[in-house]
Order: sequence, then structure tokens, then C-alpha cells
Amino acid sequence: MSSSLYVHIPYCKSICTYCDFCKMLYQESQVYAYLDALEKELKKVYRNEPLKTIYIGGGTPSCLSIDELTRLFEILETVQKKDNIEYTIECNFDTIDKDKLDLFKRVGINRISFGIETIHKNLELFLGRNNNKNHIKKMIQYAKSIGIVNINVDLMYALKDETLNDLETDIDFILSLDVPHISTYSLMIEKNTCLYIQKEIPIDSDMDALMYEAICKKLKKCGYLHYEISNFAKPGYESKHNINYWQNLSYYGIGLGAASYYDGKRMTNTRSITKYLKKDGILTCEHLSKMDTMIYEVILRLRLATGINLEEFYEKYNVSIDEVFSYQSLIEKNLLKLNGKYLIIPEEKFYISNYIIEEFIYGEE
Amino acid sequence: MKKNIRNFSIIAHIDHGKSTLADRILEKTGAVSKRDAVNQMLDSMDIERERGITIKLNTASLKYQLAKEEYLLNLIDTPGHVDFSYEVSRSLASCEGALLVVDAAQGIEAQTLANLYLALENNLVLIPVVNKIDLPNADIAKVKKELMDLVGFEDSEIILTSAKTGEGVEELLEAIVKRIPAPAGEETDILQALVFDSVFDSYRGVIISVRIVNGTLSVGDKIMMMATKQSYEVVELFKNTPSEEKVSSLIAGEVGFIVASIKDIDAVKVGDTITLTNQLATKPLPGYQPMKSMVFCGLYPIESVKFELLREALGKLKLNDASLSFEPETSEALGFGFRCGFLGLLHMEIIKERITREFGIELITTAPSVIYKVILTSGEELLIDAPNKFPNKETMKEVLEPYIRTNILAPTEYIGPIMELCQERRGIYFDIEYINQLRVNIHYDLPLSEIVYDFFDKLKSSTKGYASFDYDLIGYQPSELVKMNILLNGEVIDALSVIVHKDFAYNRGKAIVNNLKEVIPRQLFEVPIQAAIGNHIIARSTVKALRKDVLAKCYGGDITRKRKLLEKQKEGKKKMKQIGKVQLPQEAFMSILSEGE
Repeated sequence: MSSSLYVHIPYCKSICTYCDFCKMLYQESQVYAYLDALEKELKKVYRNEPLKTIYIGGGTPSCLSIDELTRLFEILETVQKKDNIEYTIECNFDTIDKDKLDLFKRVGINRISFGIETIHKNLELFLGRNNNKNHIKKMIQYAKSIGIVNINVDLMYALKDETLNDLETDIDFILSLDVPHISTYSLMIEKNTCLYIQKEIPIDSDMDALMYEAICKKLKKCGYLHYEISNFAKPGYESKHNINYWQNLSYYGIGLGAASYYDGKRMTNTRSITKYLKKDGILTCEHLSKMDTMIYEVILRLRLATGINLEEFYEKYNVSIDEVFSYQSLIEKNLLKLNGKYLIIPEEKFYISNYIIEEFIYGEE
Repeated sequence: MKKNIRNFSIIAHIDHGKSTLADRILEKTGAVSKRDAVNQMLDSMDIERERGITIKLNTASLKYQLAKEEYLLNLIDTPGHVDFSYEVSRSLASCEGALLVVDAAQGIEAQTLANLYLALENNLVLIPVVNKIDLPNADIAKVKKELMDLVGFEDSEIILTSAKTGEGVEELLEAIVKRIPAPAGEETDILQALVFDSVFDSYRGVIISVRIVNGTLSVGDKIMMMATKQSYEVVELFKNTPSEEKVSSLIAGEVGFIVASIKDIDAVKVGDTITLTNQLATKPLPGYQPMKSMVFCGLYPIESVKFELLREALGKLKLNDASLSFEPETSEALGFGFRCGFLGLLHMEIIKERITREFGIELITTAPSVIYKVILTSGEELLIDAPNKFPNKETMKEVLEPYIRTNILAPTEYIGPIMELCQERRGIYFDIEYINQLRVNIHYDLPLSEIVYDFFDKLKSSTKGYASFDYDLIGYQPSELVKMNILLNGEVIDALSVIVHKDFAYNRGKAIVNNLKEVIPRQLFEVPIQAAIGNHIIARSTVKALRKDVLAKCYGGDITRKRKLLEKQKEGKKKMKQIGKVQLPQEAFMSILSEGE
């Protein structure tokens, strides 16, 4: 049983310098064929469960034309939706307008995730992006006015030559938009990106950590809950779709390069568009043992402020977590905290969570 | 027919085309067809092919026709690096001649010169070869002149080749037959065969490479090792052509391999003489001077359970590498390991890599050290091969350290930077020899300890790669040396101690703490690093606490990747040694020798 669906739209109007997602430049001639393939894949995998979340991501889904988007929503019309479904689409401001927002409203979209990243021209240039502050404000206002109030915006930091001051103004601008959800990411320079090829290097890690602290402090002061390492939300606006990932629950993923997790398997689709259009489907498939599943449970749950619910863990795996992992020394070092029945990484240690999770899973010696 | 045998080796600097020339000779004599040829046919170890160098010597027996006569050419390969001059002397002792191969664009290099002198000491006939004449920047006239000025060859003796195109190789083969004498020695004499190499084969036991100096050896003969007095029956004889070719006997002048079901690896000593039990030779052949280990370091398995496995591995490698020495030692920081002696840095690197590759043992290597002589106030003399064995200052009367004299061949415009480098390394100027107007041979007396680490790298970078380097040991000299301890988190780490000259201690201390700061990964807590002489702290730095180790972004598609990332991180940590509360990577132990920027 899966109750979440991820739909990947790989097209973009332009390619950002840091992006290592599965994406390509928008090609009008190809989109309908892609949507057909998507429809076929959905029919093949989806088993008619009522869904509690749908997430259309990319790429840039908003770069499709009204007609193409209409076709996409027709395809998604066929799935069973729960009454309180969270139905999200990712958008960029350079490809969004009132008509598209109206269309979203008509088909039942009730959450939008916008990429802003930064509003500083020099930093935007470094990222290969270009936004207009007035347009951002106008679009967000319009979305709210037609009833799509559940909005996320993305913020990136730790960019080349960025100062704490630059970050401060970015945060202030985002706060001025008064949206209930904010995701923040420190820049990672991944292989096969423009920045990697240009041999850019990450900024000093102490500065990076300082920026993270500044963000956490400011957003908490403004009433956002720090509910996951990189995510902040006003109470009640946490992303249900993403929480589904972090709770190690199953989901469908359709489209180019999309990942799925169900029936005890983690699968990834091919990243080759020609293969995908020929329905040459799954690229990798990892069959999970019980131990694998428990490891993923730890890796994912510890990202959340609520951490691991020890009782739930026992119910799910029929074994106490203490018998599988030894983490006592992490508690002694204050890297883990036992909060009633919850095992959590304290917020001030989120930023070294890799270190903690690795010790948790693989032991100290 | 002994008069139709020619035994020769090739002397050349690394990269001057020795292995390619050998490949071409194998091809011309039909030993390998072009189709079967892999590059560097004679270099059978992976590590040799990868690094493009020859470490272990190898031999090939080739048939060659000249004027309706068939000749047997035995090519005995030699390593080119200074660390392996022991191996070179072994192969030269089994030859009557040698090709001296010089790159047409580079000219003669220091190490070639050293091996050339070895060949002359062995009374070999030399054939000068200028190779790579197809290169656009070849300067044949200049290199010819060097050969004439430096070694005294005649213009007409010099053969020009391009191993790449094959040009001149035919002429070279002719010269080998015409100029190199057939081996002396009689087939009918009492058997004397020189052991110049051996390897262990898990099916056939020890395989011995021999040069038959006198007499004849046949399958079924009972042989005796003259040094170890062990006797065996010859099961198999073969030549390398360069694939194995079985023969029923080997005669005086020939080179080949003996299989005699020898299980005991200590029974065969390189340099020993083999004779027949029923007809003993009265005395052994001269043999070789075994080389003494010059550089010592500790080898410790990262997983302490692999200690015995490491002992086995070292034993197997020592079998055909008499210059490797080892004995168990214990370090407070690193546990159980071995103090090993090597001919030089490259030798150390190779052994380390072979242990990891061939035996699957991950190692921590401590910084290399030389042997110091300490004279105690009591008059007793100690040999110190590790800094942590250095006695207390109060009990020492005098400390001596080994010195070398350099041969640095370089174009004249680099005299300045080279002298500067030698001065920095406590060098004492000896003299400068002018080879011609453009090239010099610079002689400095330097403490051996100053060249064991990155001297050669620094020399290369300060001369844009034009300098070549070789040295001779010239003995021990008194020196004002002190032991410097390194403290991490306030604790002395014995494996990081170094012996330094008093006047250089402050700068070295500063360089070491800064190097360590760079290579020690951040830990959960701040790690202070200090350098101390006695109780006196002379330098300090700090590894800052870990503040960022996170995968910020993790959604549906990133989940498997996240797990792989954590696994990789864990693998990296496995290669580190936990000392007290601090995780130390291998580089930390070597970084204490590097001068830094």
C-alpha cells in the first residue's frame, strides 16, 4: 500500500549551475510523448490506492504550456484522491503566470513550492538564475488570493562570496512574503554540474555552519517550526509528502529518473529520455532486507525533529531498537537525546547529523 | 654453442625508453608477435606496468640470425631507480655487455651515470645508444657529445635508435653480436652457477634464476647451494623466450631458471653459487655485497588482527629482496607492527603497495627514519633506527648521522635554486663539475635524513624537472640532534616523534603542527597540536571542531544515495587509526617529514 505519488517533469527553461537533478532543456516537440509515457507508467504501477499526497516536481513543471499542463492533470485525474489530499506542484517564477495559477486551482492543486534561492543579483548569476522581486511578490499574492495559501519557498545559502549580511536580506525578503513553509539548503557542488566543471569549491564549513545557525535562529523567532534538518513550517503546514519520505513509508515515483519505494524495494527509473520514451523503465532496484529497512528508518527518521518513536519501531520491526543498534555513547556525548519514547538528534547537532547517523548505524569502533 | 651466446642488459634512466626498446628487440627477434605484445613485456608485475618502471629484474632468451649463424641473446632486464642499484649489480654480474640507452632529448641522467660506473666496475662492454631520435626536440649532436665527453665513447660507436618506430634496432642487434664477447667458462668444467634472483611459486616452490658460469646443469642433477649447504634434485629447467620454454640442460654462458621442489624459502640466497653434490666446486663465485637498509619505518596493520598476516607477507617479499629487513616493534599509539628497513623511499613505497595489493593488508606507515649513532656517556655506542628509541639527552655524549654526497645533474641555469635547496637541507657545498657549457654535476654533502622524504620532489619542482639525482653514502658525522615530540590533545604520540637538528627545530616544529592541522580531519572536539622538545613547547596549532557534516537535502530520489554516502564515509574512517580520542589518517604520519609550503 502506497499513499504517495511523485511525478517527475524533467524540463527546464534554463539549467541552473548547481543542479544535479534529472533535467533537460524544454523541448516542445517532445513533451506530449513524454506525457504519454508517463500515463503508461502510471497505469502500470499504480494499484488504485487512495492517495494522501501527490507531488509534481522537476525539473520545472511550470515551464510546460497551459495545454501541456492540462494534459498532465488529465492523466493525474485518474487516480483516487483522499479528501484531505496534499497536492503540490513545483514552480519557478520565470515560468509562472496568473493563467497557470488559475489552472492549478481548478484542478485541485493546494500547495505550491517556489524556487527563489537568493535575491542578490551577483549570487543569482552564480547560480545561473534570474528572478524579479516584484513578480515574485505579485505571484505569491495572487496564489493566496485564489485560495492556494499553502506555499513553500526555497532558499539557498553558502554561495560563493556570500556574506552573513547577504543571507540576512534574503531571509528578510522571504519573511516579507509571509508563506507558511521555507526550505533552506546549503550549496553542494555535485558532479556533473556546471559549478563542478568550473572547479568551484564550497565555502568554509565554519561559515556555512554560522549561516545555518543564523537561519534557524531567525525563522524560529518568526514562529516557524524547525521540523526537519532543512525544513521550517508554521504549525500545521509541514509538508505531508516529504514527511512520508522521512518516515520511511512507501511511495510511487513516475517519470524520468524518478525513485519509488514499495513492496520492500527501492527502485530508480532510467535517466535516459530515449530509453524512458521507449518504456525501458527501471534502472536500479534494491531489494531491502529487514536490516536494510531498519537502517533506512534510522537514516530518515533522525532527520526529523520528532526522531524515532521507539514504540512504533518495535511494532513495525518486532524488535527493540536497542537490540539492533548501540547508541549509548552517542547519548553520553549529548549527540542523541531520549525524549520520552522519542529518540532524537538535538537541533543544535542537526548540522553534524551524518557523523551521528554513521556512528549510530555502523558503531563506534 | 657457447660462442653464439650473448648476455647483455640495458642501462637507462626512467622514461628513456628501456622497456619500449626491450619490447622492440623482442619483436625483431620474433620472440613475440606484434599482435601478442602488451607494452612493457618484461615488466610482469602490475605495479611495474602502472608506474612505468621496472622493479624486479627479468630475463628473456632470444634467437637471432646473423650471416647464417644463429645466436642466443639473453636480455637481462634491470631496474633504473637508484634505490634498486643492488638489483642492477646483480644483473650486471651475469652479463658480458650492456646497452647504455640515453634519451635524445634529455641527455645523460645522474642515475644512468651511477649504473654506468657499476657496469664499468664489472668490466662489461658498453654499447652507447641514443634513443627517441624521432622526437621533434631530439638533439642528437648534443647527446652524442655528452657521451663522448663524459664516458669517452667514439662518435662511430654510438648507435641511433627510435624504439617507437623501430629505426636502428636492426643495427643495434648486429652490434650486440659483434661487440659483446661470448661468455667465458667451459661446459666441461665443474658446475658453478650464480643465483641472481628467485621467486616463490605456490605450485613449484622456489624458482631460481641462474647464470651458468662454468659447467653444465641438467634435469635430474643433484645440486647444492654452497652457502646454505642444502641439496635438491633439479626437476625442471627453462628459459624465458619470454614465455617459458623447457630445456633439458643449461650450459656455461647460459641464463635460465631452475625448479627443484624447494619449499624452504630461506634455503636460496641471491648471490649464492650452485654446484653439483657429486662434483663439488672448490670455492663459490664472488657473489654480491648485500645492500644495507638505509631507511627505516614502522609498518602497522590498521586492523591489529592482521599482524601475523603482515609477518607472513614480509617474509614472502623478503624471499627475493634481500635488502628488505624487518623485526617486530610495539608502539603505544599504533600497537603491534614491524620496524622495516629499505634501500630508499621508492623501495619503501613499493613494498607498502605490494603488501596492500597482494596481501590485502591496509597499513599505517610511520615517517621514515635513518640510522643514527649515539655514543653514551658510558662510552657505549647505540644504533638508533626510530625516534622513539632516542635516549635521554643527559645520557648522550655525542650523536652522529649518516651523510651522503650528491650527484645532481642539471642545466647550468638551475645552479642557484639547487644550491638554495641543498642549503635549506643542511647541505655542505663540495664542488661543481662542469660536464659541458650547459650542464653541471653538483656535489653537496647532505644528511641522509634530509633527503628521505620530499627532497627529490622539491628538486624536480625547483628545476622544472630538468635535474636528476643520485647519491653515495660517505659515512657518519657528528650532529646536534634532538628528539621532538608531537602532542595531540596533550598526549605524546610516540609514532609521530622526529629527530631534528637543534637549529632547525623551531621551523620544523612549526611546519609539522601546520601540516598535521591540514591532514587531521575535524573531530567532535577541538584538538590542540603541539611540538615539544623535552618539556618545552615550541609550536602549536589547532584542529577546529567539526561543525558541518550533513546532507542538507534528502528527498525521494536521494535516499539510497544518502546511505551510500554514509557507507563511503565509514570506509574512509576504517583507514584511519584511532589514537586516544583522535582519528588519525595515514597522511598524518608522513606529513611530519614534509616541509610544507
